[in-house]
Amino acid sequence: MAVVMAWVLVGVPCLRAQSSKPTDYDVKAVYLFNFGRFVEWPANGTAAKNDSFAICVLGQDPFGPALDATLAGETIDGKSVVAKRISTPEESGDCRIVFMSSAEDARMNKIIAALNKEAVLTVSDIPQFSQHGGMIQFVLEGKKVRFEVNLTAVQHAGLTLSSELLKVATTVRRNSSGD
Amino acid sequence: MNLGPGHPGFAEFFAGASARKRNRRPCAFAHPAPFRYITVVILLILISGLINPIWAESLPDAQKTSEPLKQLSLADLGNVVVTTTSKEPEEVWKTPAAVFVITQEDIRRSGATSIPEVLRLAPGVEVARVDSDHWSIGIRGFGAVLASKLLVLIDGRSVYTPLFAGVYWQVQDTPLEDVERIEVIRGPGGTIWGANAVDGVISIITKNAKDTHGSMVSVGGGNVDQGTGDFRYGGGNDQGFNYRVYGMGFTRGPQSHSDGVNFDDWRMGQFGFRSDWDKGPRDTLTFQGDIYREVAGETTQYALYSPPSQVTVDGNAELSGGNLMGRWKRVLNEGSDFQIQAYFDRTNHFEPEFGETRDTFDVDFLHHLTLPWRQNFLWGLGARVSPGNVVQMVPTTDFLPHHLTDQVYSGFVQDEIPLFSRQLALTVGSKFEHNNYTGFEVQPSVRLLWNRTPRQSFWGSVSHSVRTPSRLDEDIQINFFATTTPLPIYLRASGNRQFQSEELLAYETGFRTLVTSHVYLDLALFYNDYNDLYSFEEGAPFLEPTPLPVHAIIPLLTSNGIRGTTKGFEVAPDWKPSSRWELKTSYSYLEMQFENKPGSNDPSSVPGYEGSSPRHQVGIQSFVNLPKKLEFDQTYRYVSALSAQGVSSYSTADARVAWRATKEVEFSVVGENLLQPQHAEFGGEPGGLVGIKRSVYAKITWRRAAN
Repeated sequence: MAVVMAWVLVGVPCLRAQSSKPTDYDVKAVYLFNFGRFVEWPANGTAAKNDSFAICVLGQDPFGPALDATLAGETIDGKSVVAKRISTPEESGDCRIVFMSSAEDARMNKIIAALNKEAVLTVSDIPQFSQHGGMIQFVLEGKKVRFEVNLTAVQHAGLTLSSELLKVATTVRRNSSGD
Repeated sequence: MNLGPGHPGFAEFFAGASARKRNRRPCAFAHPAPFRYITVVILLILISGLINPIWAESLPDAQKTSEPLKQLSLADLGNVVVTTTSKEPEEVWKTPAAVFVITQEDIRRSGATSIPEVLRLAPGVEVARVDSDHWSIGIRGFGAVLASKLLVLIDGRSVYTPLFAGVYWQVQDTPLEDVERIEVIRGPGGTIWGANAVDGVISIITKNAKDTHGSMVSVGGGNVDQGTGDFRYGGGNDQGFNYRVYGMGFTRGPQSHSDGVNFDDWRMGQFGFRSDWDKGPRDTLTFQGDIYREVAGETTQYALYSPPSQVTVDGNAELSGGNLMGRWKRVLNEGSDFQIQAYFDRTNHFEPEFGETRDTFDVDFLHHLTLPWRQNFLWGLGARVSPGNVVQMVPTTDFLPHHLTDQVYSGFVQDEIPLFSRQLALTVGSKFEHNNYTGFEVQPSVRLLWNRTPRQSFWGSVSHSVRTPSRLDEDIQINFFATTTPLPIYLRASGNRQFQSEELLAYETGFRTLVTSHVYLDLALFYNDYNDLYSFEEGAPFLEPTPLPVHAIIPLLTSNGIRGTTKGFEVAPDWKPSSRWELKTSYSYLEMQFENKPGSNDPSSVPGYEGSSPRHQVGIQSFVNLPKKLEFDQTYRYVSALSAQGVSSYSTADARVAWRATKEVEFSVVGENLLQPQHAEFGGEPGGLVGIKRSVYAKITWRRAAN
């Protein structure tokens, strides 16, 4: 019983406090912001007409406040960066970057097919995302967050990735359009 | 350890001879109602969920994390060490078997001080502590001190002795801080690992030397683990060569004995090293070795031909040995690699009742290649030669012949075939073995894995597996005293040179799912069909004139007279309610049903097997990260009763508080078996059930990274 009381007194009130190490989603949020800075969109795309730069999360949002906190007050190309939540690919008209959470893995192929026609950078951490045509896939190496790039898919969408981004990617796939 | 009463069948058999001593249940071993405790824990979890909406971290808090991260370059961002909110069970996900990984974090935060105690964390594994230095361990049943149906590997080196096809758990040790992980596979691991992996494989993997640079010193003490210490120093150069050396030692006090005979104190010292060399992009060479010496307290009962006919001796087991291993891995090209491993092991094991020295030489070769249609093909060859020498210490226990060399030659093939655009994977394989007892054995297995979605997978398998004979089955001669009226009568258990391998046909299936990014569930079900299980048959009594006085012998011949089934399931949900709190839980259910085969008159092995494994086991591990670098961890477990051991069901809990005072120093205090002053877990020693004591220890660990 002493163990139980100790747990109640010590454990419960302290569970709210902020963690001391960043989570993988804290780092992924910062990556998404950086992708916005290191990718070039076509000058005449639909999204280019907007006065805000939208980074969208499709489906269940795993970021919590991390994405909004990262983007708060930032600008890219003179446009203010905002985070949006959408639930279908059809709502992605204003999005520059769409992040698909792993809850959407059942719809992954359909979503990729719908989005790759637009000039939208598709990012996810679903396993084998880039092999199936997704543009950037987060991978966990040990306890570090890295990413893979499917260059063919990026080029098909008319986007250009800065060489700085390509240098840091763990894998750059070419001529691979899914299995 | 006792060769006789150690075996579950023997324990039940001699219940008649020494009934009151073994089957009594002293009131001292009372226990609280287990499910009451579980209910309280669950209520606490729910309450804390209501009063602390743990998910609602505020925006300003999140900004404190993102600001410094935004300053980093892309390359630096990829080097930030993160804590994950979801379980990424990569290697586990793709395995069509019931595999559970005990991580370094699980080990560190459990406060366990020995490998058997760490194994309690895995579902389906029954670990029962007999006394200070003996454990009964089994997977899905057949828990015994002389457990024969488990394969145990440390860094690929098999640590089982052919003397009784089991593991001397007292001497399997390594600094727990440098264990990378322990993989526990429930069910037949037949194909790659071979014979005696009948009920499962326990594979202990230590950290690569490149992950153990710097120095580490750890010192602790408490009421039962009276003094423990270990140190490690590691380094490397930039040619890819890394090494470490370590030393460890402890002295442990006895557990609780109602007759006051505290025989089971225990002390040991061990040194070792490991080096890993990444020689170029294709080759990795590893060398490692250990050397140890231990003195472990034992109590043994053995028979004498003249009065007093039976003596109980508290003596020490003198244990020492060492091993040396080398391994070379080479990548041939994309998707193809091979590995050669060789090791030498020397074990000296001297107990009051018998002694054994054994050398083992082992070479294994494994080749992995990718065949057309993306088949993952593995094949290998192995040879193990093990000359052993038994030293007779008492006239009534012996293995004949004294000197025997065990030889096992094996080969295996395994093919993993992806089907239906890699949604399904079919694995077929078989191991072929030739041993010096039963000749040629084949162990085929078929497995299917279905990755229904990236968050859900199903698997199923059918395997045939064998437990090959040991010297205990074939060569033992051991006498047990029964009674002196009307003349001295002894039971003589003899090995059987015709002993066959025990056989298993296993049907298993499982399901894994990431329910949400914070909840992971693993379920495994099994149905095991056993045949030719160990039994002993009573023969016709006869008079033996020498040695005097004239006495009668009732022969017991070891035989393969039992068959039956076990079935059950294990479910292990994992829940991370917040970034500061993780819960790992498991429930294991086991049903055993055995019977004598026609022609077998063994009266006690069936109740022995059925009554020595728990029907229910519950485990809950809770890790809480508190602010100011504090950790508070608790473990709760419940094990149901073992009728053949005279042990009632028990539930107990451990707790650990640790404080990372500086980057280099950590203090921790661990309490174990906290819910009662003592409780018994398994029988087998003369003198009655040993109570495992409530214990506390404190530890300081000092670490310094290399420059």
